[in-house]
Amino acid sequence: MSYPRLKNWLDERYDLTDVKKFAKSKLIPEHRYDLLYYTGGITLFLFVLQFITGMLLAMYYVPHIDHAYESIIEIVTKINLGWFFRSLHHWGAQLTILFLFIHLFGTLLVKAYRKPREMVWITGFILLIISIFFGLSGYLLLWDERAFAAVRVATGGAGALPVFGGFIKAFLRGGMDVTGDTIVRFYAFHVSILPLLSLLMIGLHVLLVQYHGVSVPRSEIKDPQPTVPFFPNVFYKDMIIWLIVLGVVVTLAVLAPPEIGIKADPLAPPPANIKPEWYFLMVLETLKLFPGTIFGLNGETIAIICVVVGISFLFLIPFFDRKANRGEESTVFTVIAVIYVVYFVVMTAVGFLS
Amino acid sequence: MKLKYSLITRRTFLNTLFGGWLFAFFSGAFYTLMKFAFPTLGKEPDFVVLDRKDFSDIPNNSVKPFAWGGALGLYFKKEDGSVAALKGVCTHMECNVAYKPEEKKFYCACHQGWFDETGRNIAGPPPKPLEVFDVTEDGDKLIIARKGVKVELPKA
Repeated sequence: MSYPRLKNWLDERYDLTDVKKFAKSKLIPEHRYDLLYYTGGITLFLFVLQFITGMLLAMYYVPHIDHAYESIIEIVTKINLGWFFRSLHHWGAQLTILFLFIHLFGTLLVKAYRKPREMVWITGFILLIISIFFGLSGYLLLWDERAFAAVRVATGGAGALPVFGGFIKAFLRGGMDVTGDTIVRFYAFHVSILPLLSLLMIGLHVLLVQYHGVSVPRSEIKDPQPTVPFFPNVFYKDMIIWLIVLGVVVTLAVLAPPEIGIKADPLAPPPANIKPEWYFLMVLETLKLFPGTIFGLNGETIAIICVVVGISFLFLIPFFDRKANRGEESTVFTVIAVIYVVYFVVMTAVGFLS
Repeated sequence: MKLKYSLITRRTFLNTLFGGWLFAFFSGAFYTLMKFAFPTLGKEPDFVVLDRKDFSDIPNNSVKPFAWGGALGLYFKKEDGSVAALKGVCTHMECNVAYKPEEKKFYCACHQGWFDETGRNIAGPPPKPLEVFDVTEDGDKLIIARKGVKVELPKA
């Protein structure tokens, strides 16, 4: 297919030779672990899907304590295909978080964070945190009893942090407790603040990946490096994978629509066997390991500090892993990476099965 | 049968097939999205059922508003005591109209449009007369329906 007039119109106005050259010359390394490169693309695709379904749902959702729950019931029962788009948004969110973790752990294990790509790791990590907050804020909007309990626990957990805890808690809740003000606040986070932040971060992340080129694991560096062109080989593969992912999300959305519990009642006890979203299970199980008091100190505070230290260490890992930065083998950090992955998987599984 | 010359190349065939598939895929997805985005609820009603006693004792030459779906409906008792109902929305730019008893006309303040007692547009920009409804009284119910609509009340 060619459109000579459109081509002329563009050529007369813009010098696209650089773009063309770039598109032709962009190469992607080919090696044993090159499947990991697609995990980032999948997350990007899922973000786009979340943006589209989210925009549509925002047309009908009412962020008010008296109408939030009812408006979702209305979406799934009365609006054309409303049940489908709510389900799609739910499963899209689940898979986004899943693929973010896969992308993160893959990057961690092949040490793609090493010099000069520290900022790629940092922006990606911030995107994960944004996404988890996306999940939490989106979940509260449902305003059923599970959402209410989950947000109370999560914001309360932030409140256990020393010094700043109280401020963070009050800021997140928009008051001393989870109330109607929290819904409005979380709605603002979910549809305005977080989308803008994530767009910025995604832009930066993709730009940095473009700037540095994709990382090749140390063990796979060869001279000359075998490569494939991005256009069309890798691009087409990307699209094929996106299509498969879309198929999976749609199938899940149709066959397993998420349930809606009983409307939240701030004075009622939470339902039995209540569990948070799966990506919080790891934190929950970790908190359970700590006793109430440790040497006379508040056990929960210590537990939260341990979790924060663990996450911060992972966040800053490119700056600790000096050997990988020098291009040497860094066995200690491979072990640390494996510990992180195993801990995450085991604790999530324990939380899921208990 | 084997053609000596083909009208299209294999590449054109495959491109068309792939492009057509993409087109079908995206139009399907787009249709679904639009189906959701366009409003399902809040359509204009075919009829509304009101309480008769709320409207029976209004003075002659006056109107009483009622909800026609999301829009203004006007129950209208003329000077001679006969009744009518019309949609109180100007046919020009959808402003609500007001009844002027002293002139026996409906007036739209947005662009100075005038309608007479029967809803006919007599002055100003309105292009069409006001929509007039059928009024039927059924026991203690007052049924206001669009012209030509058969009213089927749910069995209580």
